[in-house]
Amino acid sequence: MTYWAINAVFLGLVAVTAGAALLLRWARTRSTRASSTRGDLAPVARAVGLSTAVLLVMTAVFDNVMIGVGLVGYDESRISGAFVGIAPLEDFAYAVAALVLLPSVWTLLGSRRETEAAKAARASRRAGSGSGPGTSAADVEEAR
Amino acid sequence: MGFAYLVALLISIFGMAMLDRRFGLFFWRDGWRAFVTLLVGVVFFLIWDIVGIDAGVFFRGETSFMTGVQLAPELPLEEVFFLVLLCWLTMNLLAGSRLVLDARERRRAASAALSTGGDRA
Repeated sequence: MTYWAINAVFLGLVAVTAGAALLLRWARTRSTRASSTRGDLAPVARAVGLSTAVLLVMTAVFDNVMIGVGLVGYDESRISGAFVGIAPLEDFAYAVAALVLLPSVWTLLGSRRETEAAKAARASRRAGSGSGPGTSAADVEEAR
Repeated sequence: MGFAYLVALLISIFGMAMLDRRFGLFFWRDGWRAFVTLLVGVVFFLIWDIVGIDAGVFFRGETSFMTGVQLAPELPLEEVFFLVLLCWLTMNLLAGSRLVLDARERRRAASAALSTGGDRA
């Protein structure tokens, strides 16, 4: 089995987790208020972009150092031969997976505050007073 | 037997904790949720490591920087701490970059409002 074949399996699991998290977010947004979160998507995208850039650069630097000082070795017949410096390109899959998997798990776990805010919003809607005061706070928290 | 790598990882993790505490990024935002997220991440990456080691893709280097303690064949003790650092760094980065970008946006809006006010005066 090659390094890329293993990565494909684990990145697939990450993608499934991300899909579940997006589905949950979508459902939560729909149950509260759809319009208020749409405007929050751009800052989230910018933050993800910045984090990705920083983490990939740090991975390139530190992976090269770690391989350079001999902390880890690779079987050359099982890696693709694409390198960033002396670091196999495959290693970057860990950083990409972390950037997608962890916030997805975080979202799937939800927070008590959000659940309570969503509950309060539903309750106040049932009472006929529109969206509750907790709704916007939950949206802001979720978008962070 | 060396402790250089382990100590470097512990210092880095301590740095993550300080940033987290100062800005409320991960554990200091929701402790229980952060703990479970980190645990899921570390276990997931450890399994990835073990599959890679089992397939013979990568192996522990022979160096004097590591303690030599192995949790499994070719899986050094240090790897757990490396994965904790990777996961904590990732979550701190995601929350931190949002804070940085929001603060910059507010500053820009404030200075724009200020200059508009100046024009009117």
